[in-house]
Parts: sequence; structure tokens; C-alpha cells
Amino acid sequence: MLNAIKDVVRKSSIHVCIVNCGGCNGCDVECVALLSPRYDLEQYGIYVHNNPREADVLLLTGAVTEQWVDNLKRVYDKAPEPKIAVAVGNCPQSGDVFAQEGGHVHAPASDFIPVAAAIPGCPPRPSEILEAILAVGPQAIADRGREMK
Amino acid sequence: MIVPIGPIHPALKEPIRLKLHTEGERVVKAEIEYGYVHRGIEKIIEGQTWQKGIYLSERVCGICSYEHTQTFAETIEQISDVDVPVRAQFLRVITNELDRIQSHFLANSTFFKSMDHETLFMHVLELREYAMDSIELLTGNRVNMGWNVVGGVRMDADERHFKPILENLDKIEESFDRVRALFAEGPALALRCKGIGVMSKKEAIKGRAVGPIGRASGVKEDYRIGHYTYDDYFDFKVIRRNEGDNYARTLTRFDEIPESISLVRQAIENIPKGEVRTPANLKSGYAMRRNEAPRGEVTYMIETNGNLIKNISIRTPSIGNMDSCAKYMIRDVPTVADAVSTYASCDPCVACAERVAITNEHGKTAIKGFDEVI
Repeated sequence: MLNAIKDVVRKSSIHVCIVNCGGCNGCDVECVALLSPRYDLEQYGIYVHNNPREADVLLLTGAVTEQWVDNLKRVYDKAPEPKIAVAVGNCPQSGDVFAQEGGHVHAPASDFIPVAAAIPGCPPRPSEILEAILAVGPQAIADRGREMK
Repeated sequence: MIVPIGPIHPALKEPIRLKLHTEGERVVKAEIEYGYVHRGIEKIIEGQTWQKGIYLSERVCGICSYEHTQTFAETIEQISDVDVPVRAQFLRVITNELDRIQSHFLANSTFFKSMDHETLFMHVLELREYAMDSIELLTGNRVNMGWNVVGGVRMDADERHFKPILENLDKIEESFDRVRALFAEGPALALRCKGIGVMSKKEAIKGRAVGPIGRASGVKEDYRIGHYTYDDYFDFKVIRRNEGDNYARTLTRFDEIPESISLVRQAIENIPKGEVRTPANLKSGYAMRRNEAPRGEVTYMIETNGNLIKNISIRTPSIGNMDSCAKYMIRDVPTVADAVSTYASCDPCVACAERVAITNEHGKTAIKGFDEVI
């Protein structure tokens, strides 16, 4: 009973934290564009406040640079359960153009933390990011919540 | 007491660590710790062809991605003595100015967000979407456009593109004055902006502040003056202010937007007919070019070996702006909240700034700030 109520409540209030772990910030500006009145993230009950300690969804962007190798796990651990990580753009999945000789990146991000969903694109359109969060967010958070029991 | 802010923090959109030295509520000194997004982009470009290099240079920074490709292309063109067709030069100006409009809107909206003024944040982001629409219409992409090639631009545009762009600009102009007045004349905002984070002209020059941040303190450099296209065909006014505080920096960016809109209109009105791309016969050599990105001057130094890039060095505006922000602007602000908004007002772009890694004699790699490199 309590779990069912929790699932319903979580579906309509997702807190998001954007974690830029070393990208060109193209994906980040598309996430900021999501806040604009045209896409209006908050009408779906999603709230972006960039604080990992309150987040349900961590939006990962960027190709995991040297400094983030240890810190990514630390930031992930700070978020309260149940939580999921969504990789935005090509960088957290493959390193994109930076994963070649001379580059200082340690992609993919799934080597360090569990990634629930990935949105390809360089960068993906805001509508695609929104669609992905809405499609996988509520269910994945609920699943994760049951897993933790 | 030292108050650390970042690398993940509600007020920052990119990872960086601000260390604020405080005495009570007053911030006396600030330090910036870089290094969270260093990807080694220059090292990757070495030994590649320009086609790969221009793709990578676009990904130095996502917000001002356009100007990086233009400067890269112009540097290679200078080495190879390629004359870009006039129609392509005009198309470059249109895209460049649309990019400037969206970047300035984004910078100002982030500043309002850092001051917790949601209304203006929303208004400004709404206007920005019209500029993004125009960019997408012309180039096919919203952020990384892939519009420039050596010898011109990727494809031609015609009336079907220009008409909706002009309509979008009309929509921006319709609400622009109201939004600007909300900021410039609103009593609550002006009280929190005026006289906060003051940087004098002397300090701006010493800290190498460039672009709208430098011009808000009275520095007169704008590298669009001296660029061959702007000098020959276009007419515009360089916006300058003398106060050097948060209010002046935000208003400088606001006032540059009508100038950019007028430049796009001039370009669409007078665009000549002709080719948009010439075949480039690549030569070996060295060249340096600087251009005005939305945040200030971008410099590219490229040495080529005919087909391949032997050496490349990129200097972006953000590192000078962020360094002068930490040294001069945050030096004596009354509260920690004001320090955060002052940092947002200098339009920081961390992805731009972090490309220099220095290896010392013990083989240890460290990422250095601007002062240690120069």
C-alpha cells in the first residue's frame, strides 16, 4: 500500500540534477532550454535544481574527464535512493570525438555508475531529452525503489 | 572562513569550484579551481586533416560553437590564400550574429536565475528560442551547426530561409524593449545590481577581460572592427559602458542584441548572388586570426603541413574573463549571494577555458590557470 502511494507520488515529482562531467556544454544548454516557457519542464512535475542531495534523476553530460573519475561516484552516492542516471548525448556513452589518441577522457560513464537510459545525439534536441525523462523516469525510479528493498 | 561553491551547485551550470574567503557575510577574496572539463582537444587535433579539426573545434565550447569554426576556417583560408565568396561571407555574418543573440540571451537569463528572478529568466529564455529557431532553420542544427567549411559555407540559403528568420527577429524585437526595461528600470533588480562587483578599466586591462565584460568597464576592443566582411559591407555601433558593475555587464549584453538584429537585417537585405563555396588548394604555413565571439576575442594559431595540422593553439575569452572576475569583481562584494550573481554576470564558459595542461619535470600533469601560462 505504502509503496503504491510512493510510486504514484514519485511519478509526478521528479527532481533533476545536471552533472556535467566534462563535455562541451552543448547538452547543458539544451537542458537549460528545457526550462524555457516553450518546453516548460515544470508542467510535467520535473524540477531542475542541480543539487545531487535532492535529486531523483542525474542527467549526465560529458565524457568523464580525469577529475571526474573519482568524483562521479561520490556525486552519485550523495543522491538519495531511489535514483537513476540518464546519459544525455554521445559523450557519456562513447566519449564521442574525445575518445581518441590524445584525449583525456574515460568514457563510458556506465563504467563508474549504473546508467538507466541513454539519449544519443550531439546534442539531442530538448524535446528528445524531455521525452526520454518522461518515458523512463517514473518507471525506472519505481523499479529502483523496489530493488532497494 | 572559506566557503566552497561547486563543482555541482544550484547556481552553476558547469563544473567549477569557487573558493570564497569571507569575513562575516562580506566576501574579501575569491579563488577559482579549474580542471573539471579538460579534454585535451588541441592534442587530438594535431595530425588531423582540417575536416576533422573543424569538427573538433566546434566542440571546444557548445554555446559559442559557431565562432570557433569560423575562426578555424578563416585561419586555414589565410594560410592557403583562399578568397571566400562574398555571398558566403554574408551567410557567415547572419549565422554569427544569430549565435551572438542566443548566447547573450542565455547569459542574461543565467544571471537572472542566479539572482532568483524567475520571471525575467523565463521571459529571456522565451525570446532566445526564436533565435534558436532561426539557427535551426538556416543550418539544420540548434547547437553544433557544422556550417563553416574552408572556402565558404556548407550550403546555400534562399528566400524560404530568410523570410522566417526576419519574422522571428520581429518577434524578438516586439518584446525586447519591455524585457530590457523590466531589468533596467525595475527597482528591485537595479538595487541588487548597481555598484556590485565593480571592475575599473585599468583592472579590466590588467585581468585581460574581453568582450562585453571588458566593454562594460570601458575597454573599447571589438574584433568585429578589423574583420574584412564587417569593415567592407556592414555598419554597426560598438556598445560601451563605464560603470563596470553587474548592471553594466548585463545591460551591455542586452544593448548588443539590437545591433546584432540590425546586422542580420542588413545582411539579408544586401546579400549578393553567387557561389557559397570555392575549392581550396591547401598550402603549408602558419597563421593567426582573431575574431569576436559572443564572449570576446577568440584566437586561433594554426601551423599546417599542407594537408595535416601540425600544431594548433586556441585562446578563448572565458579564461581572461573568469580570472578577472575572481581577482577584481568578487573582491569586495557584500554577501555570498552577490558573489554568485557576480560570477554569473561575467558569463563564464568553463568548457572554453580548460585546454591547457602543463607537465612538470617529474612527469606530473597539472591544469594551469591563465596567469601561470602567460
